[in-house]
Amino acid sequence: MSRIKIIPLQFAGVEVLEQMLPLISARFKIETLMTTCRLDLTPFFDPVRSQYNANDIIQKLVPLADEGDKIVGVTDLDLFIPVLSYIFGQAYLGGSVALVSGHRLVNARYGLADDPKLFSERLLKCIIHELGHAFGLKHCLLPGCVMDSTTYVEEMDQKSDQFCRNCKIQLK
Amino acid sequence: MDNNLSILIVDDELSVRDSLSNWFIEDGYTVDTAEDAKVALKKIEAFNFHIILVDIKLPGMDGLELNRRIKSINDEAVVIIMTAFASVDSAVQALKDGAYDYVCKPFDPDAITHIIRNASKTIHLSKENITLQDRIKSLVNVEDIIGESEGILNVLEQVRVVAETDSTVIINGDSGTGKELIAKAIHMNSSRRFFPMVTVHCGAIAENLMESELFGHERGAFTGAQYARKGKFEMADGATLFLDEISTISMKMQIELLRVLETKTFTRVGGNREFKSDFRVICATNRDLQAMVNAGEFREDLFYRLNVFSITIPPLRERTEDIKPLTEHFVKFYAEQMNKETKHIGRRAAKALKNYDFPGNVRELENLIERAIVIGTGDTVQLKDLPLDHVAAKPTWESIQEMEHHHIQGILEKYDWNISRSAKALGVDRVTLYSKIKKYKIEKSK
Ligand SMILES: [Zn+2]
Ligand SMILES: [Zn+2]
Repeated sequence: MSRIKIIPLQFAGVEVLEQMLPLISARFKIETLMTTCRLDLTPFFDPVRSQYNANDIIQKLVPLADEGDKIVGVTDLDLFIPVLSYIFGQAYLGGSVALVSGHRLVNARYGLADDPKLFSERLLKCIIHELGHAFGLKHCLLPGCVMDSTTYVEEMDQKSDQFCRNCKIQLK
Repeated sequence: MDNNLSILIVDDELSVRDSLSNWFIEDGYTVDTAEDAKVALKKIEAFNFHIILVDIKLPGMDGLELNRRIKSINDEAVVIIMTAFASVDSAVQALKDGAYDYVCKPFDPDAITHIIRNASKTIHLSKENITLQDRIKSLVNVEDIIGESEGILNVLEQVRVVAETDSTVIINGDSGTGKELIAKAIHMNSSRRFFPMVTVHCGAIAENLMESELFGHERGAFTGAQYARKGKFEMADGATLFLDEISTISMKMQIELLRVLETKTFTRVGGNREFKSDFRVICATNRDLQAMVNAGEFREDLFYRLNVFSITIPPLRERTEDIKPLTEHFVKFYAEQMNKETKHIGRRAAKALKNYDFPGNVRELENLIERAIVIGTGDTVQLKDLPLDHVAAKPTWESIQEMEHHHIQGILEKYDWNISRSAKALGVDRVTLYSKIKKYKIEKSK
């Protein structure tokens, strides 16, 4: 039985994730649950960049995925991959592990009023987007589709947490 | 989405090659890599890559020399130079040698996306040039615009005409008619489709936040602003800017907007760097802007700037033949969304929908169907699932015979086709009722 496992990794809003489980499950029509894991993220800190290396963290999570499982690590830490200055999330096409960061989804970091509802909407979109990659979906240009590639936080507010017609067909 | 373009990444660092490969594979490109110039040249001779990313610092032959060699093998290839901040001067040299652009490591994801989108737009459009004539004959990605009425076909025809022109468009229509869908259709059929459509819901933004929303603000411009905020004008560079409910913006913002539309330049709040942005404006309104101009509520100069091409979406009550396909579309969509069995619309429900005049237009129909699927059971949307009982009763027939027909049908349905009780209610005997049923060919609805 394949499942989606959400793993908080130094992530404060566990209740926020809990509320998302049924939504994620409905979107992919797969059982979705939250599990914990004691992974110390300090070794992945890059002092020059003051950020955490997403690719290396993902490598550590790979063994945790049972056959057919998809794992999504969710953290508050700021993530990077070697050539990019930051990322919201990372996954591999058809891979078993994804990683998502809530760090740059917080309105207050842009000098705007805090908005917990907006934060959780953005986080949900990130999780569904990266899971979409893990299930083999590529980026999509249709305005509003969750697989639209977003590289800036407010671009994320422009899309929905839904797959467009084309992506939905491919997901099946 | 596969975009049929290929990218070669030339970098001596494995982690860079891996990260970029993954990034571009997710973007739909076919990706190959090379760890040095020698390997790269071999691959370039064997295959026509569309885009080649070259690190300026390579072991052996450097990126500058590689760029020149690439140009002599395949001068159509788009070469993008990757460089550290320290060696921007050599990157500038590469541009003189024909490189398309350069990007500093580590890249801002936004910056690299922008460069690559620009490059793919250039490549796609040059490939498409030959077939442009064919392409503009039909629209793509308009499946969500449902309907075959003359009204909606007319709107689609206007979309087709204006999409490629890059001109400003005003979309008029009552609320709920689907103005945003039409804006998306224009965007997806224009050469800006490689970039996003950036939407501003003008009516939803508080006046004091409008400036930051549109122009963005620099780091530290507000307490706690650890990162700069990009405004909508900046986000829309290369893209389409959709200004929804344009009639709601204040006089002050009208002046600001006019200035940006004229100069395409702006500065972020709390900064003085000047930004240039190339965007196409599509705006939507449910109010008559010309009337607002006449009443002095909307600037005339801004109106003329915006009103280059205008499309009017007819309200749903003027295209009742679209109600059926729209209903079917929403039933299918929401049934799937909520994992329900609903597949059909009951006859009485369909009739009630057809007779209703939908002041809230398509959005109201959508909401009705969504609600009906939430509360309904079984595989059919029933009249009782719609808050339209009063509408069903609303007579739309004129002759006495038609009235009799519908009245008898209503009574039969009310008493669940119990003939004795229906006949009693109608004040006729059962034989008369049977003969009327036969005469009007009344059938039990499913
Ligand atoms: Zn992605
Ligand atoms: Zn899509």
